[in-house]
Amino acid sequence: MQKSNVIYHLIIAAIFILLEVAALNMLRNNGRLQNIWISKCTHAVMGTVWGSSQEVKQYFSLKTRNAALAQDNHDLRVRLAELEAMISDGGTAGKSVPSDGIAGGFRYTPATIVKISNNTQHNYIIIGKGSDDGITKGSGVITGKGAIGVIDAVSDNYSYARSFKNHEMNISARLGKEGAVGPMSWDGFSSAGAILKEIPHHVEFQPGDTVYTSGYSSIFPADIPLGTVGEAKIVNGATYDIKVTLFEDYGALRYVTVVDNLGKDEIKKLEEDER
Amino acid sequence: MKTGGNFTFLYCLMLLCQIVLCNFSPFGPYIVLTMLPAMIFCMPLSISMISCMFIAFGSGLAVDWLSEGLIGINAASLVPVALARKSIVKMFFGEDLITRGDSFSFNKFGTAKVSAALMSAIAIFLLFYVMLDGAGTRPMWFNLAYFGASLVCNWLLALLVTHLLTPDDRK
Repeated sequence: MQKSNVIYHLIIAAIFILLEVAALNMLRNNGRLQNIWISKCTHAVMGTVWGSSQEVKQYFSLKTRNAALAQDNHDLRVRLAELEAMISDGGTAGKSVPSDGIAGGFRYTPATIVKISNNTQHNYIIIGKGSDDGITKGSGVITGKGAIGVIDAVSDNYSYARSFKNHEMNISARLGKEGAVGPMSWDGFSSAGAILKEIPHHVEFQPGDTVYTSGYSSIFPADIPLGTVGEAKIVNGATYDIKVTLFEDYGALRYVTVVDNLGKDEIKKLEEDER
Repeated sequence: MKTGGNFTFLYCLMLLCQIVLCNFSPFGPYIVLTMLPAMIFCMPLSISMISCMFIAFGSGLAVDWLSEGLIGINAASLVPVALARKSIVKMFFGEDLITRGDSFSFNKFGTAKVSAALMSAIAIFLLFYVMLDGAGTRPMWFNLAYFGASLVCNWLLALLVTHLLTPDDRK
């Protein structure tokens, strides 16, 4: 009963539209002003409809576009690392363009996060690339806005990374690009809070200064922006503990880059030999 | 049956009057005089909405073709009246009237209710007519004045038309 009622109303609507279109078409052909006005209205309606359909189409293609942008990001990051290496080597290293995403002594691999934990004291990330893609244990996970974690375990197609939001995790960070270096760790409760420790008392800084990776660890390349400086307090009368507001929003993470220091085994061996 | 025949005859006669009125309108371009919305509104409720829309379209087109003016303007303005007819009847006279397939009249519902319903039908017609006639070139104040003056004149004309077309009042 209801279905036939709906069909009847649809028929009425269709006939109404049909008759109105026929009448307006006759009117359009008989009045110059009406012709211009109706054409204008028609174009406006068509523009709106077309615009809306394009928006819907764009919405459904966002996944592909995001993947393409992530790839572009990765390419740019590699290119940036190449240029930085070229500058530090006095313009000679860049003459041979590295391949396979290798630049500045690091291999860069774009990856997608398949699972992330953010609400515990021991957070982790699982990414959709594993040993088959060249990912190795001890590699870093970064984005353009921070160092996200360190790979702890690798399977053929997936990797398990300890998130920076983890009590056992420290990153070597630098105040500004030329400033003092200290370990930075998650503050343990806020989603975007971290603490930069062991900054010498004499070092000058301002709230709002940017904190970067130092490049002193064998995991992360130097100069990845991590966050901005907030309040500071003196600890034991000798060093500052500085609050840092992280740039990266861990709740919205989707695309990351895995960085693998190609010389990390050599560095590790050297360290072990010296001990 | 006789009532139906009378209605058709009166309807055609009024359509002719409308054509004459359109050709010799004493108010020029400042007021539009039309009996068409009242004629459609007074059609027996037993006539379906689809048929009513086709009749409205045909009547509007006949007036447009046989009078001086823009072809299609009356047809385009009258079809919405046919579409809204049963809703207006339901709003002012109740759903029972439609269920029974009965007709309304001044005797049954009083002048005030019938006038309000007629005004609604005329307003729908004029809304389309004024908008299409001006085609976005006239200022708002002119359109409002045009609409208001035409609404009042057509309401008086509609009272006469309704008086002639509704069955109870012809007895």
